[in-house]
Amino acid sequence: METLSQIGNLVLTASETAPTEEGGSFLVSPSLGLMIWTLLIFGITMWILKKLAFPKIQEALDERAAKINESIDAAERSKAEADKVLEEYRARLKEAREQADDIAERARKAADTAVAEATAQGKEKREELIEAAKRDIEGETRRSLERIRKEVADLTVLATEKVTKRTLDSEDHKRLIDEALAEVDFTALSGSGAAKE
Amino acid sequence: MSTRVKVLTGITIYLLVAVALAVIFGSSGKNEAFKPQNEFKLEPWININLAGIDFSINKAVMYLMIASILTITVMVAIARKMQQKPNRTQTAVEVAYDLTRNNITGTNLDGALARRWFPFLAAVFFFIWFSNMIGYLPLPTNTEHTVNIFGLEMPAFALYAATANISIPLALTLVVWFGYHVEGIRAKGVFPYFASWLPSGLEDMNPFGKAAIFMIEVVSQFVRLISLSVRLFANILAGHLLLLFMGGGLAVLLGLSALGALTLPMALAFFLFEVGLVATLQAFIFATLTAIYVGGAVAESH
Repeated sequence: METLSQIGNLVLTASETAPTEEGGSFLVSPSLGLMIWTLLIFGITMWILKKLAFPKIQEALDERAAKINESIDAAERSKAEADKVLEEYRARLKEAREQADDIAERARKAADTAVAEATAQGKEKREELIEAAKRDIEGETRRSLERIRKEVADLTVLATEKVTKRTLDSEDHKRLIDEALAEVDFTALSGSGAAKE
Repeated sequence: MSTRVKVLTGITIYLLVAVALAVIFGSSGKNEAFKPQNEFKLEPWININLAGIDFSINKAVMYLMIASILTITVMVAIARKMQQKPNRTQTAVEVAYDLTRNNITGTNLDGALARRWFPFLAAVFFFIWFSNMIGYLPLPTNTEHTVNIFGLEMPAFALYAATANISIPLALTLVVWFGYHVEGIRAKGVFPYFASWLPSGLEDMNPFGKAAIFMIEVVSQFVRLISLSVRLFANILAGHLLLLFMGGGLAVLLGLSALGALTLPMALAFFLFEVGLVATLQAFIFATLTAIYVGGAVAESH
């Protein structure tokens, strides 16, 4: 027992004198009080950081990440949309150009047809007019010849009367004269070409 | 002249100047009164003793409080003013947050486990980072040496870091250590969890061999307690010791005042190295290893 208490005393005195030693052993001898202080102060620090700092920082970082993702998505969407619109416009432009070409082609064709039709119509009309004029001229000529023939017949009757001093039976003589006249060619009167002969 | 020749010439000149200075000015004798390690000694400022445990407020507790307040203030302030178009500070915090979430947590844990552990991992990263960083700001904390300013005895400005004290990394490491064992047991059950410590491929081994390997695994689990805490503590302590020695401590210790002119540029270089790399790297490593341990504890095969 005695030796045990002696050892105990030794340990006690050693631990008491250790911090006051002139060497550097206090550097590596931990102090329980200081360790508890450490845990206390660190615990408070951690608790406050956990409650007040970390969630807010995380929240802000998450928010920013979300915003960046959103912006990238939005940009991609806009780009896709713009590409689509551009493609659509290009297609429409192509279509419009084709339509325009088509319309121009059709217009040109229509114009050509119209011109051809107009030309044909004009020609027809002219020919018609010419035909009508010819018919008129022929009719007029015939009437004139008729009148001349009648005049000649009358004059012939008159002349014959004067020569014969007698009145011819109108009907008989007229027929005779007509017959005689029919043998006379009046065609020379109807045209200038005939007159030359 | 090649780069190698230039570097060697530079080092040679540097050493020659050092020797020349030592010869010219001589040593004013070794300084026995200056104890560099006392820069890291904790003087109780307010004595608090509860149930036999020393809860005294000292430099380390103050640094922990400053680190806590800074961490909370910066993170909450940034979190409250999160903008869709971030400024530089917000961007930096976002990068760090992303690092804790996707790199540290995301690559090692998934699902519910990641959700449960993310606050701890992120808080550990930011808390250690702020603790490390304020360790490079000179603060009026040296109560051992006071400066008389207009009749007031003010503590001298000194560099200190909470993480340069073993208690602080060790406390965090204990949380991690118990935490990942609990996760492992929760995921697999008590016996399967401990059985999973054995590496795969030992199915044909005799029970004694298995027991021996299991003992090695048990030791390695306990070594993690030391490796995780000491890695952080020793890195920061070593950095501060380097700064202390290069920033004048060496010159004082050896009584070679002229040497200070040569060590000060080194102090600047170490300072940049510590602030620019070590402070962030150690915070990152601590958080990443935590995530790896938790991930490993619940992983199907060892």
